[in-house]
Amino acid sequence: MINKTIMEQNKERTSFIILFLISIILSNIGILGIENSTMMPNYFIALITSCILNKSSFLNIYRLVIIGLIVDLFVGQLLGQYGLIFICIYLIYFIMQRILVIQTTMQLFALGFFLILCGFLIVWATSLSYGLFISFNLLFIQSILTLITYLIFNIYIKKFI
Amino acid sequence: MVTKASKGNLKLFNRNSFPLVSFVLLLVLCVVIMGADYRYQILKKIKSKLTTATSSITYLINLPVNIFINSKDNFIAKDLLKKKIVNLQQINYTLSIAVQENELLKSENKILRNKLKIKKDFNITGVNAEIILPKIRNGHSIITINKGLKNKIKIGSAVINNTGLVGQIINTSKSYSEIMPITSEDYAVPAIMDNGKENVILYGNGNGGLEIPLFPSSSSIVINDKFVTSGIGGLYPKGIIIGRVVEIKSTTSPKFNSIRIVPLSQPTTFTQITVIDIKE
Repeated sequence: MINKTIMEQNKERTSFIILFLISIILSNIGILGIENSTMMPNYFIALITSCILNKSSFLNIYRLVIIGLIVDLFVGQLLGQYGLIFICIYLIYFIMQRILVIQTTMQLFALGFFLILCGFLIVWATSLSYGLFISFNLLFIQSILTLITYLIFNIYIKKFI
Repeated sequence: MVTKASKGNLKLFNRNSFPLVSFVLLLVLCVVIMGADYRYQILKKIKSKLTTATSSITYLINLPVNIFINSKDNFIAKDLLKKKIVNLQQINYTLSIAVQENELLKSENKILRNKLKIKKDFNITGVNAEIILPKIRNGHSIITINKGLKNKIKIGSAVINNTGLVGQIINTSKSYSEIMPITSEDYAVPAIMDNGKENVILYGNGNGGLEIPLFPSSSSIVINDKFVTSGIGGLYPKGIIIGRVVEIKSTTSPKFNSIRIVPLSQPTTFTQITVIDIKE
């Protein structure tokens, strides 16, 4: 595997911070024109999935947990929930990488969708375990919106990094 | 023909070592933190401390959207406003007559109460406040008001405005408080129909309304029937308007109907509200 230069790593880090800040901002405002405020994508799952799939050298398992805790502080309902989601996504990606040949864009897209669905499944399971009710239908709509956000983030990462 | 992969794209039987120990440790750590948070409400306390900082950031984030909405409102046609003024004047005239009638009934009621020695006090006491920021936090609607602990606002207090019930205080800091609106998914309020029948619990559906998932089909209810607070539990004073029925749906059980209610108060703009004192 070709190692990334320090300049590329810095660029990745800066882009990640920019996208993270954008995600915080977007999480605090609803989508214009949609009255239902709960119908919005999970920007953080989209961001982490696109960064993991683009093999961002900035992210490792420890940083994912720390980022998860920061996300919980801003938008979370349960401390540690996002940390758990992010490392589970990381684990699933690692397992998939070992058993599958991911070469085409379509495969990458499918894997991204799978990781996002897994992320939402963990959100749903952990929320129910700790008495936070989230409608399954709403989570499904959110996962579709998250997939679209993932594609946008992916385009940004591919274009600028 | 077999070709050698030049890049890291080909990952068949990748032999990169996975930090399994770290993963297990972090997984356990996350579960422990979640458990501790669930038990001791750590995140809630941290958020309560950070409210002053985050409120201003959220205000700035929402500012362009608010400006857009406000300027859109400002461009409402002049004729429409004039018509509204005429309508309001008519309503005001009718209401002023109704007020006089109310005053008469009030004094009559007072005399009767004194005669019957009824001491129950219906006066609602509370702190008046202003909504400074209706915001969305990760898909959940939260309203921030400009009064906090220094105004003796307590967590759990009911919040009302001139049109009805608004919500309940869920977080307080020194100068700010946060309200969970009645339409929030986690919200429930004991209610009664305005004709004094059917004690029920209304649940917020997270979608701009409230619902009664299982309402006895034997009970009579029609569209536009109103629900008010029943006063059961002592948190909410009796008789505050919550909303009106907009949909009656049958459920899988013939014994029950599902009722959807739309709240009469929509505190999405900058309005005055009253935080009701919790009686010890």
